[in-house]
Amino acid sequence: MWVLGVTERRVMGAFWVLNLVLFLVQVVGIKGAHGIGEHGVRIWPMPLSVSHGHKSLYVGKDFKIMSQGSKYKDASGILKDGFSRFLAVVKGAHVVDGDTSKLDQSRVLQGLNVFISSTKDELQYGIDESYKLLVPSPDKPTYAHLEAQTVYGALHGLQTLSQLCQFNFSSRVIEILMTPWIINDQPRFSFRGLLIDTSRHYQPLPIIKNVIDSMAYAKLNVLHWHIVDTQSFPLEIPSYPKLWDGAYSTSERYTMADAAEIVSYAQKRGINVLAELDVPGHALSWGKGYPSLWPSKDCQEPLDVSNEFTFKVIDGILSDFSKVFKYKFVHLGGDEVNTSCWTLTPHVSKWLKEHSMNESQAYQYFVLQAQKIALLHGYEIVNWEETFNNFGNKLSPKTVVHNWLGGGVAQRVVAAGLRCIVSNQDKWYLDHLDTTWEQFYMNEPLTNITKSEQQKLVIGGEVCMWGETVDASDIQQTIWPRAAAAAERLWTPYDKLAKEAKQVTGRLAHFRCLLNQRGIAAAPLAADTPLTQPGRSAPLEPGSCYLQ
Amino acid sequence: MLLKSQEHLSVLKVIIITALLIIFTSSLSVSTDVDDSLAYIWPLPAQFSSGNDTLSVDPALCLSVSGKGSGLKIVEEAFERYKAIIFEHEVEGVNSHSVFNNFRKRRSRGFDIGTLKIVVHSDNEELQLGVDESYTLLVAKNEGLSIIGEATIEANTVYGALRGLETFSQLCSFDYDTKSVLVYKAPWYIQDKPRFAFRGLLIDTSRHYLPVDVIEQIIESMSYAKLNVLHWHIIDEQSFPLEVPTYPNLWKGAYSKWERYTVEDAHEIVSFAKMRGINVMAEVDVPGHAESWGAGYPNLWPSPSCREPLDVSKNFTFEVISSILSDLRKIFPFELFHLGGDEVNTDCWSSTPHVKKWLRDHKLTAKEAYQYFVLRAQKIAISKNWTPVNWEETFNSFASNLNPRTVVHNWLGGGVCPKAVAKGFRCIYSNQGFWYLDHLDVPWDEVYTAEPLEGISDPSNQELVLGGEVCMWGETADTSDIQQTIWPRAAAAAERLWSRREAISTGNITLTALPRLHYFRCLLNRRGVQAAPVLNKYAREPPIGPGSCYVQ
Repeated sequence: MWVLGVTERRVMGAFWVLNLVLFLVQVVGIKGAHGIGEHGVRIWPMPLSVSHGHKSLYVGKDFKIMSQGSKYKDASGILKDGFSRFLAVVKGAHVVDGDTSKLDQSRVLQGLNVFISSTKDELQYGIDESYKLLVPSPDKPTYAHLEAQTVYGALHGLQTLSQLCQFNFSSRVIEILMTPWIINDQPRFSFRGLLIDTSRHYQPLPIIKNVIDSMAYAKLNVLHWHIVDTQSFPLEIPSYPKLWDGAYSTSERYTMADAAEIVSYAQKRGINVLAELDVPGHALSWGKGYPSLWPSKDCQEPLDVSNEFTFKVIDGILSDFSKVFKYKFVHLGGDEVNTSCWTLTPHVSKWLKEHSMNESQAYQYFVLQAQKIALLHGYEIVNWEETFNNFGNKLSPKTVVHNWLGGGVAQRVVAAGLRCIVSNQDKWYLDHLDTTWEQFYMNEPLTNITKSEQQKLVIGGEVCMWGETVDASDIQQTIWPRAAAAAERLWTPYDKLAKEAKQVTGRLAHFRCLLNQRGIAAAPLAADTPLTQPGRSAPLEPGSCYLQ
Repeated sequence: MLLKSQEHLSVLKVIIITALLIIFTSSLSVSTDVDDSLAYIWPLPAQFSSGNDTLSVDPALCLSVSGKGSGLKIVEEAFERYKAIIFEHEVEGVNSHSVFNNFRKRRSRGFDIGTLKIVVHSDNEELQLGVDESYTLLVAKNEGLSIIGEATIEANTVYGALRGLETFSQLCSFDYDTKSVLVYKAPWYIQDKPRFAFRGLLIDTSRHYLPVDVIEQIIESMSYAKLNVLHWHIIDEQSFPLEVPTYPNLWKGAYSKWERYTVEDAHEIVSFAKMRGINVMAEVDVPGHAESWGAGYPNLWPSPSCREPLDVSKNFTFEVISSILSDLRKIFPFELFHLGGDEVNTDCWSSTPHVKKWLRDHKLTAKEAYQYFVLRAQKIAISKNWTPVNWEETFNSFASNLNPRTVVHNWLGGGVCPKAVAKGFRCIYSNQGFWYLDHLDVPWDEVYTAEPLEGISDPSNQELVLGGEVCMWGETADTSDIQQTIWPRAAAAAERLWSRREAISTGNITLTALPRLHYFRCLLNRRGVQAAPVLNKYAREPPIGPGSCYVQ
C-alpha cells in the first residue's frame, strides 16, 4: 500500500482496513464537493513513507519551536524564519481566534521540537534533505518532533507539517487530523528544478520571490535562472558595465545586489539558484553595450568566435557571477547555435580559415573555451544537449548535459559517463500549453536506464518556463499546477508514484487549492477539453476549486 | 511647525497656490521628449506642477506626523508599506550585503529628502461615503529658506494622507546607475482630490471562492489606483460561502468546507480595507440570485425542483433576510448595502402551487410580487440603518415605489443614470458595455472613455451620480486569473473616476494616457500585481511575444 512505509510494518494490520478505504477514495476520485478528501493522505509531493492514525489534535495558540539537543545553532535564522513562514501559511487561510486553552489540553499540541544534527547551513548540490516527522497521538500530545540532518531537510519537514494542518471552522483553531503521523522522507533526485526566463520578459523582484516561495511548497530546490538571451540583458555586470544597456528599458534591470538578494532569499528556503549564460547562440543583447561582440552590425548572433574580447567578457561575467551565485554549477547554454553569421562575416570567416576550422568545429571550440573559463572560476558546468549531441566526447567530464530536445537523450548521456538533467520539451516545457498535467506527472527521468550506476548519473529534472508569452501577469498560472506534477515525480520514490496519473487527481487538485489559499495564482487542473488548453486556462465555469 | 488651526489657510496651501501661479504664468521650458512631458502619476492629480530638479530620497526616510490626526496608526502603517515599495531595490551603502560595493566609489553625500512630513488635520478616522480624500503634496529641495521643505503631505483626514502617500510613492523611482531613489522633475506641487466619492470594484466570491489572502491582494492593488469601494458580491446561486451565525446552515451552500469565510474573516477583510482607505460594500442579491441559500434551508426554495427566486410567499424568507442583515450589519460599517434585485425570473413563483395560491390570495401578479419582495427587503435594510443599493431592474420596473434613499446601480447599458438622477435617485455607473471586466473584448480605451456623467448636464443632477464601479464577475475568474482580468483595465476606469473630466477627456489619449497606463501597469507588476498587458486584443491574454512591459 502506498500509504505505508517500511518502518511501520508491525502496525500494518491495524491499518489495512483504513488503507483499503483510502485506496478506494483515491481511485474512485471526487464525486461531490462535500466529500472531497475528508480523509486520506493529501501531502504533495507524497513522502517516502507515511503512516497515520485517526485521531485529531489541535495546534496550540502559542505553538512554538524548540531545538532541544540540536547541534545546529541557526546563526543566520534560517530555521527561525522558516518556522515563522510556517505559522504564517498555516494561520493565513482564516482568522484563528479560537482559544485552545479552553480545549481538552490532552489534545493540544504545544510546539515542535526540531533536532538537526549538522551544524552547517551551506546549501549545495546533493546536501541531505531528508527528515523524519512525528506528530504524536492525543494521549501524549505536548510536542511534535522533527529530525533532520540539515536545516534544509527540516524546512521540508515544516512544509509537510504545514500541509497536515487545517483550519477547523467550528472551533476556529488549527487542527491536525489522523494523528499519530509518522513520516520518513527524502527526495528521489537531488536536482529538482524550475527554469525562469528574464530575457524574453523582465520579471520584477516580487514576482521572482513569489515563484521561489511557491517552489518551496512543492519541494523543488533549484531555480534555474535563464537571465540573458537574444532579447534583453537585464543583469548588471560590474566588470562590463555596459552589458545591461541591452535591457529592455532602464527600469527592467537587476542590480548585482538584486541578484544577491534573490540568491539569499532562495537559500533561506533551501533553493539553489543556477545562473545561466547561454553562449554563443542566445546572446544578441550583449552587443547593445559592446557591439564588437557581434560578428557585424547586421549579423549579430552568435557571439563573435574570432574575437578574444568575447572570451574576456565571458570571463568577466563568470568572475562576477562567482561572487554571487554560489551553487556549484553554472549553466553555459550552448543550444540552437546557427553559425551562418560566422561564415557570412568576412573577418570571422577569415579567422576560421586561418585556424583551419569549419563552423561546427568553431562551435565546439567556443563551448569548450567557455567551459574552461567556468572551470577556472570553480564552477562545474551544465550545457544544453546539443553540445553533447555534437561533440559529447570532448566535453569536460564535469559537464552535466541538460536534455531538452526529446526523450532518449538521458540514456545516451549516462551511457557516455556524463551526468544528466532531464527536461524533454514534449513533457516538461511549461510553455507548451498543450501538455497536460498528467503528461508532466508520467514523465519518468530514468526511462530505459536500468543500471544503478547509470541511474545515479541522472541528477534530476527540471520544468522550463520559457518567457516568450510569460510576464508578471501570467507566470504563476502557467507554472502551476503542472510543475507540481513534475515535482512529485522528482521527489517521491518510484514505487510510491501513481502508476496512472488520474489516481492523484484529487490530491493534486487539493495542492492547487492550497497554493491558491497561499496567494499563488495556480491555474485549474483543466480537463483537456476541446474548449480549453491544459496550461494556464481560465476556469470554464463556476465551481469549486477542488473540482476544477 | 505648521499652524494647526483650521481657521487659517494652511501655510502649505499658500505656498502651493503661489507656486502654481508662478509656474503657470512663467514659460516653463518644455522638454522635446514627448514622453517626458507627461506626469507618470496614475490617476492624474487634479492640479499639479513640476520643475527640472532631481532629488534623492534617503533610504532611511523618516516619517513625521503632526496635526490632530497624528496619533492614528493608519498613516504610520501605510508609511511602512510604502517605504517597502519605494526601497524595493537595495540602495547603495545602506545595510548593503552587496559584494560589489568596492567596485564603486562610495558617495558620502547627503540626501535631499530625509523626512516625509504628514499633516493630518482631523482625528476622525471614520471611513464613510464622501469622506474627505483631498491632499496636497509638496516635494521640493529644502533651501533652508522655507519652513516647509523636502516632502510634505497635508490632508484633512488620514484617508487623504493615504492618497498622498500613494502619489508620493509614484514620484519616487529607483535609479539603476546611482543605485538610489530619485524624484525627477521636482519641485512637485500637487493639489488633489477625487472627482467622485464612489470608485468601486466588484468581486464575486460565489462563482469562485477567493481565499482571504487573494482578496487582500486585490484590496492592496485597488489602493494603488485610488479606488475606494470593494463591492463584495458575496453570495449568489452557485455558492454561499459566508458564515451567518443566526442561520448556521446557510453556509452549507458553500462549494466545500474549505471554501468558506468565517465572520472573523469578513471582519479581517473590512479592517484590512479600512487601513487602506477602502470601504467594503456587501451584497446580498435577492430574490433572483439566491439558490444556494436553500442548501441549508430548503424551505427558502419555492420547491426542491424549482429553486429560484427565493420563496416570496413565506415569512421565513424575510426572517432569514432580516437575520442575515443583522449579522452583516455588525461586520460592515459602510452606509451602503447592496440588495441586488437583478435578473429575477418569476417562473418558479407562478408554477409552484403554494406560491401561486399565495399570489392569488394577495392579488399580486408575479411582477408585483417581485416589487413586493424588493421593497420589503429595502425596508429591512433601512431598519438596520443601511442605505439600499439595488441593480437597475428595480428602478426600471417600479422606480416610483423605490425608497427615495435608494442608490440605483446601473449595469444593463447607457442612459440609465440620467433617468435615475432625473427622478431624484442617486446612481452608480457600471455600464456593462464598458465596465464589466468579465467582458474580455473591451479594450482599455473604451473603458477609459466611458463617462459616468454622459447625458447629465444639470450640476445638481450630476451630484447625484455617486461614481462608478468596474465589475469582476467570477464565472471564469478564480485565484489564478482574477488579477490579470482586473488590471490594467480597472485602472483606466479608476482615472476616469478620480481625475478631472476636462483633464482626461480632451486630446489624443493614445499620447496622453496610454504611455502613462503602460507605466502604471508595469508599476503594478513591480509591486507583484499580475496586471496583464495593456494592448492585448482580449483582456488577460498573455503577451504576444517577447518585449518590454512598457510597450505591451
